[in-house]
Amino acid sequence: MNRKVFVIGLIVALPLVALLFASLSRDPTRIESPLIGRPAPAFRLAPLDGGAPLTLDSLRGRVIVLNFWATWCVPCVEEHAALAQAAQQFGRETAFLGVVYEDSAPEVRTFLGRSGAAYPMVMDEGGRTAIAYGVYGVPETFFISADGVIVDKHVGPLTPERLSQLIARAKARAGGGRS
Amino acid sequence: MTAALGRYLILLSLLAATAGALVAFASAARRNDTGWRWTRRLAYAYAAAIAAANAMMIWALLRPDFSVGYVATVGSRSVPKWVAVVSLWSSLEGSILFWGFVLGVYLAAATWRSHASQAEYLPWASGVWLSTAAFFSLLLAGPAQPFATVPFPPSDGPGPNALLQNHVLMAVHPPFLYAGYVGITIPFGLAVAALFAGRLGAGLLRTLRIWLLVPWTFLTVAIVLGGWWAYEVLGWGGYWAWDPVENASLLPWLTATAALHSALLVERRAVLKGWTVSLVIASFLLTILGTFMTRSGVFNSVHAFTQSPIGPAILAFLALATVFSLVLLAWRIDALAPEGRLEPGLSRDTLLLLGNLLLIVFAFTVLIGTVFPLIVDAVRHQQMSVGRPYFDRMVVPLGVGLLILKGLGPALPWRRSSKPTLLGALLWPLVGAVLAAGVGLAAGARNAWTLLTLFFAGYAAQVALRELWRPVSQRLSRASAERPRIGRRRVAAHVVHLGAVVVFVGVAVSSTMGVSKEVALSKGESFAIGHYTLTFAGADVVSEAHREAVVARVDVAQDGRRLATMAPRMNYYASQQNPVGTPAVRSNVFEDLYLSLLNVDPSRQTLGLHALVNPMVGWIWAGMIVMALGAGVALLPARRPLPDNGRAGGASDADVPDAR
Amino acid sequence: MRLRPLALLLLCAGLRVAAAQDAPATSEAAPGAWTAAEVLGAPRGVALSGATLDAETKRVGSLLRCPVCQGLSIADSPADTAVNMLRQVREMLAAGYTEQQVVAYFEHSYGAFVRLEPAMNGINWTLWLAPFAAVVVGGLVIVAFLRRSRGAAPAGSHEDASSTALPADPQLAEYVRRVRALAAAKQGERREETRKP
Repeated sequence: MNRKVFVIGLIVALPLVALLFASLSRDPTRIESPLIGRPAPAFRLAPLDGGAPLTLDSLRGRVIVLNFWATWCVPCVEEHAALAQAAQQFGRETAFLGVVYEDSAPEVRTFLGRSGAAYPMVMDEGGRTAIAYGVYGVPETFFISADGVIVDKHVGPLTPERLSQLIARAKARAGGGRS
Repeated sequence: MTAALGRYLILLSLLAATAGALVAFASAARRNDTGWRWTRRLAYAYAAAIAAANAMMIWALLRPDFSVGYVATVGSRSVPKWVAVVSLWSSLEGSILFWGFVLGVYLAAATWRSHASQAEYLPWASGVWLSTAAFFSLLLAGPAQPFATVPFPPSDGPGPNALLQNHVLMAVHPPFLYAGYVGITIPFGLAVAALFAGRLGAGLLRTLRIWLLVPWTFLTVAIVLGGWWAYEVLGWGGYWAWDPVENASLLPWLTATAALHSALLVERRAVLKGWTVSLVIASFLLTILGTFMTRSGVFNSVHAFTQSPIGPAILAFLALATVFSLVLLAWRIDALAPEGRLEPGLSRDTLLLLGNLLLIVFAFTVLIGTVFPLIVDAVRHQQMSVGRPYFDRMVVPLGVGLLILKGLGPALPWRRSSKPTLLGALLWPLVGAVLAAGVGLAAGARNAWTLLTLFFAGYAAQVALRELWRPVSQRLSRASAERPRIGRRRVAAHVVHLGAVVVFVGVAVSSTMGVSKEVALSKGESFAIGHYTLTFAGADVVSEAHREAVVARVDVAQDGRRLATMAPRMNYYASQQNPVGTPAVRSNVFEDLYLSLLNVDPSRQTLGLHALVNPMVGWIWAGMIVMALGAGVALLPARRPLPDNGRAGGASDADVPDAR
Repeated sequence: MRLRPLALLLLCAGLRVAAAQDAPATSEAAPGAWTAAEVLGAPRGVALSGATLDAETKRVGSLLRCPVCQGLSIADSPADTAVNMLRQVREMLAAGYTEQQVVAYFEHSYGAFVRLEPAMNGINWTLWLAPFAAVVVGGLVIVAFLRRSRGAAPAGSHEDASSTALPADPQLAEYVRRVRALAAAKQGERREETRKP
């Protein structure tokens, strides 16, 4: 019985196989955001229909639902209704903001003309805000607490239940550290 | 009907393979002739059944018959016939079916070419081959069933992934890749047989070497073709991104190359038998690992099939094969004791050892770079990436090291020799080295690694060319038809090395001496890049059977003379939301002009273009062809038996007696 | 959500037909750098311009992974996200941020995933040092192997077949000659077997 082979096998081959077994449940496209629990990056975005730029500071004091979307993205279109409904439901204490990602204003206006706009929409020129928030694709929605900390990031389309759940979570974090 | 027949054929193949494996192991353990004959029949039966299943699938794809599950996922009425055939390997289940077919061909060939003198060990090998075949048939019968019956067949299907319809290389690269990957099963079986039989004699070694060389050749071509395909199709102007699936194809190639070289030492010095056998086994395990990486959805890769249930099955097979191999090696490797020895000191022998070291470190680096994100995820639950910057930095010195050995190794004689001999052998190729580096400097190369590569490439090329010239000069200087004093295997080795040197040079120069520009143009505007002047002549919309395209016409001129019109395009497929771009490439011996569309608007006649001048890319593809030809020369059967050593398959200047 | 991988793949590999969009001139200079200032503080390097800026943008871009692609760097990828990111890299370099700062900025929002070149800290040292360790270990193994094989066989008994010298002792030489003859005959027999493929 050759000891060396055993040792090499134990050190190299079997750990590799074990690692692969452990990784079977891994979804390589699911990337965790490092911004969770950190202050939300500031932004300054021009509204779709003109007017003064909207900044993060101007929305402070309320929970913010920041939704990155585009008209060419099918799941975004699907969740639009849920977001509109939630905006109507929670609109007093919660600020909803739609950030248009890699799209053109005319297309967005056409879409909103058909589906209605329940909350302000802003254009992210040059994609800078998307980059600041670490957006990988759309739809992605950030839930920011009243004191400006990102509490959650939801990747993919939202359902009404999940929306209320996440808004409640953001509200629950009132000032104070979350660590 | 077709689906049911296909399922039946797969079950038949599973039966034949399982029965064959059992009979093979039984007849190996008991040295039973009848058993061996039945093993052969069952091997042929497996090959026939799986080939028939493949034929059935191709027929279903051509019709197209959407009642067959696989056809419903990748078939389409509106694709050209060649795309329909090629869809066989475009998606998961079909690719496993194709794997079975290639394995059947290899099995049949290896069984057909077997003969009585191999009866001692071949049943062991056959058992291993048929067990592997049984596993893949099991996959086909279960989680990767391509012949599922679709209860309500759709009227049309989506066709294969748009990226795969764009280029004819799609028809060529996968078959070569499978011929390489799958083929390594054969030498694996032979290596296992060597362990069971407890010896690696000249006969078995020769069989092992030849059956390793065949898939190695295919794999070499496949890897470079993969780069070529990425270059022509993906549009970013490069050919290798250290993507996990690309790395998966490179790993077994590296260990197989190491095995081919250490086999030389087994042959000449009767040492490193256990090491060579281990390398062959590692190559096979790496092909299974590669298959897992491609099909499991665990790795972030542009080539990977989407996640599927067969990942765990393949991993289970990998675990089983690994444990089996380790146990077998631990138990039997001491039977493959060395019968000679290597002397320390500078000689071809020790350089072969060093070459093995570099190749293994290369493979280890690629492996750890590829799986490191998984390690960090498992340990720290963080996602990180290991990309080109890491691999390039680690691999370039290794590559240059291998290039140095390619020059020094063949220049040195076997065995330790005297200082004057050494100096004489090592100094004269410096002429070629300095020449090559000089040419590089004159052409504008300033990158240190590029110049080093050119220097040692010149060295290695001069060594190889001189060796190849020697029999020619001998024939010319002596009037008689004396047999050339260099065997076919050595010719092949030098040709392969020469081809590899060409590839190295192509890679080094194209990586460091290219130029690239991104411009926005309106119709009629021009810009300059390299020696070329490019003018945007207009954009048109083109309709084809299975796609629509926007084609941008760009006129290319050099020194005022019009050279060509290139047509990079964007293709729109019905089944895809986003278009797929096809770059336009104009190649000549020295460089490629590469145009890729960033955006194009036919109504406004505007163009966003990415233009690159890539020097010496064509040399990479040419070098691959030279390597394949060289390996082909090694595989040619002998014209006549040679009187001195009676070794068929090309004289070798190794006159080692049968090391039993 | 299963749509995502395929969509991302095609988003990267596909190129959108779009009217050529110019980034509208903003009233503030380099807003990307403005956001960066919040995260990174002041630029610590020299402001670049011209050809140096181009080259450096490309180089730093090749260190950052395009988040919507499979493995390409932002310098190589045609996807809009990558183009935006590369523009931001250029702006930050022009404002004088160093390579480390630029990479840190993207790592701040995207995580370590966006670095194509792994950071040299903590567990990553295993990755960076592994190849060197492998060379050293391998080298030691080879040295041990050569030393062992030198010690195992006493000098003079390692002739290979191509050496034809006979030992000095005539009786021994006779024996050796006879053994060689026998071996050659055996080899002749085996020739028949090994000739077949």
